[in-house]
Amino acid sequence: MTQLQSAPAEGIPDSHLPGPYPVGSYSAQLKRRLLEFARVQLVGEVWGLRASAARVYFELRDASGALPCSMWRNEFDQLGVRLAEGMRIVVGGGCDYYPGSATSSPSFMFAVAELRVAGEGDLLVQLERLRRALHGAGLFEPQKRLTRPLLPRTIGVITGERGKARDDVLAGLRRRGWAGRLVWAFVPVQDRHAAPMVGAALRELASIEHVEVVIVARGGGSLADLFAFCDESLCRTVALLRVPVISSVGHHTDRTLIDDVAAVCCSTPTHAAEAAVPIDCRAARAELAASARQLRNHSRRAVLVRARNLAHLSRAPAAHVARQRRSLHQLLRELRASARRELQRGRSLADVHLLVLRRTAARAESSDATRRVRELERLSLALGAHDPDRTLARGYALVQDRAGDPLTTAEAARRAGSLAIQFHDGTLAAEAVDE
Amino acid sequence: MTTERTYESAVGRVEEIIRRLDSGDAGLRETLELVKEGRGLVEYCATELEAVSQGLEELRLEELVARLETGNAEP
Repeated sequence: MTQLQSAPAEGIPDSHLPGPYPVGSYSAQLKRRLLEFARVQLVGEVWGLRASAARVYFELRDASGALPCSMWRNEFDQLGVRLAEGMRIVVGGGCDYYPGSATSSPSFMFAVAELRVAGEGDLLVQLERLRRALHGAGLFEPQKRLTRPLLPRTIGVITGERGKARDDVLAGLRRRGWAGRLVWAFVPVQDRHAAPMVGAALRELASIEHVEVVIVARGGGSLADLFAFCDESLCRTVALLRVPVISSVGHHTDRTLIDDVAAVCCSTPTHAAEAAVPIDCRAARAELAASARQLRNHSRRAVLVRARNLAHLSRAPAAHVARQRRSLHQLLRELRASARRELQRGRSLADVHLLVLRRTAARAESSDATRRVRELERLSLALGAHDPDRTLARGYALVQDRAGDPLTTAEAARRAGSLAIQFHDGTLAAEAVDE
Repeated sequence: MTTERTYESAVGRVEEIIRRLDSGDAGLRETLELVKEGRGLVEYCATELEAVSQGLEELRLEELVARLETGNAEP
């Protein structure tokens, strides 16, 4: 360090180290030395990518180490590549050091002059493999089968103590009008300690009977920052808990494994809080009051309506009798009118019949007299045909005894002796004489 | 087997009761019984809502555990 100028200040007593040197001189020397390092190509995965107007910053990582990198923004844009978290890349460049000043911080970086995408990052491949393994083991389902209470009294929240997620959870609960018991479990939410501590907090909260739902919340960050929430052991813990877990880790574009195994995955801690209390408590109170009113109305109506109905029914018999009486009167009036009409009609009909009868009788009377005259004539003719005078007129004679009885045989005439023979013009006396 | 009463089950039953009453098919005795049951459920729900309306109580997990150990953790 012969090039360094000694400062006027006194050094540390008994120290064998040279100096003290002004830090600016030392840092300038350090920069020069670092720039002398061989310019090389490095391969690793991109994490924590961010861009300013002048430069693009990211970390290059692999399983055993990491290096902060930066590249001029205009050179990066000329490449036309789209870097994503975890992407495997090859960079070319060398070490650089910004010595800082009285008002700015120093920083070390690998200044990237060339860059090429090498393929999907190993960590993303591992993540996808683990996601498939957890899914294959059926660990995405148990949490989703749990019943989430509509109105939990106690909610557990696991988050960083100084993170914005805490305020967001409170805002979400306020929006729901919820003001119950909130149990905070503050844990690191980034680095290698995060996963075991989040897991321990989850187990402890789930072991408390009062806790009905647990929110795991963390604000946005790079996928590397959120990688603790992809821990296999943590995910298995979540999957087997008795209480539903609502996760909100990172931005809505991030998808950690805890999001897959949790009962519900939300894009923000505010939404996670709203998912923990699915109902709006103010609206629920209004609905409950409405239900109470409806029940009261039903209760009152049930009695009043039936009482009115009973009163109506009690009046029914008298009304029924009156109705029947009116009906009977009406029927009676109709019956009388009908009888009058029928009588009138009968009379008219009888008159017609009488007229017809008279005419018929008159006709019958005249025809009967004629018939009787004819019959008389016929009988008279028949009688005339049997008149003995007419027979006597034709030359026959009637033999009688003295008493006038007809004698029809010769024997009878012999016995009678004295005979009277009647001709048509007179009677002669005769004596029966045997020849 | 009796199922534990929860806010959601109570709200669901109240809605069911009101639907039954609105249908007009329930007789007087059933109506009065349903109204009585519904009032009990509404009262339960109101208690549950009241419990989360008294003001936010924030505790750290360690505090709750300590309260549980002293038997003073009832909400």
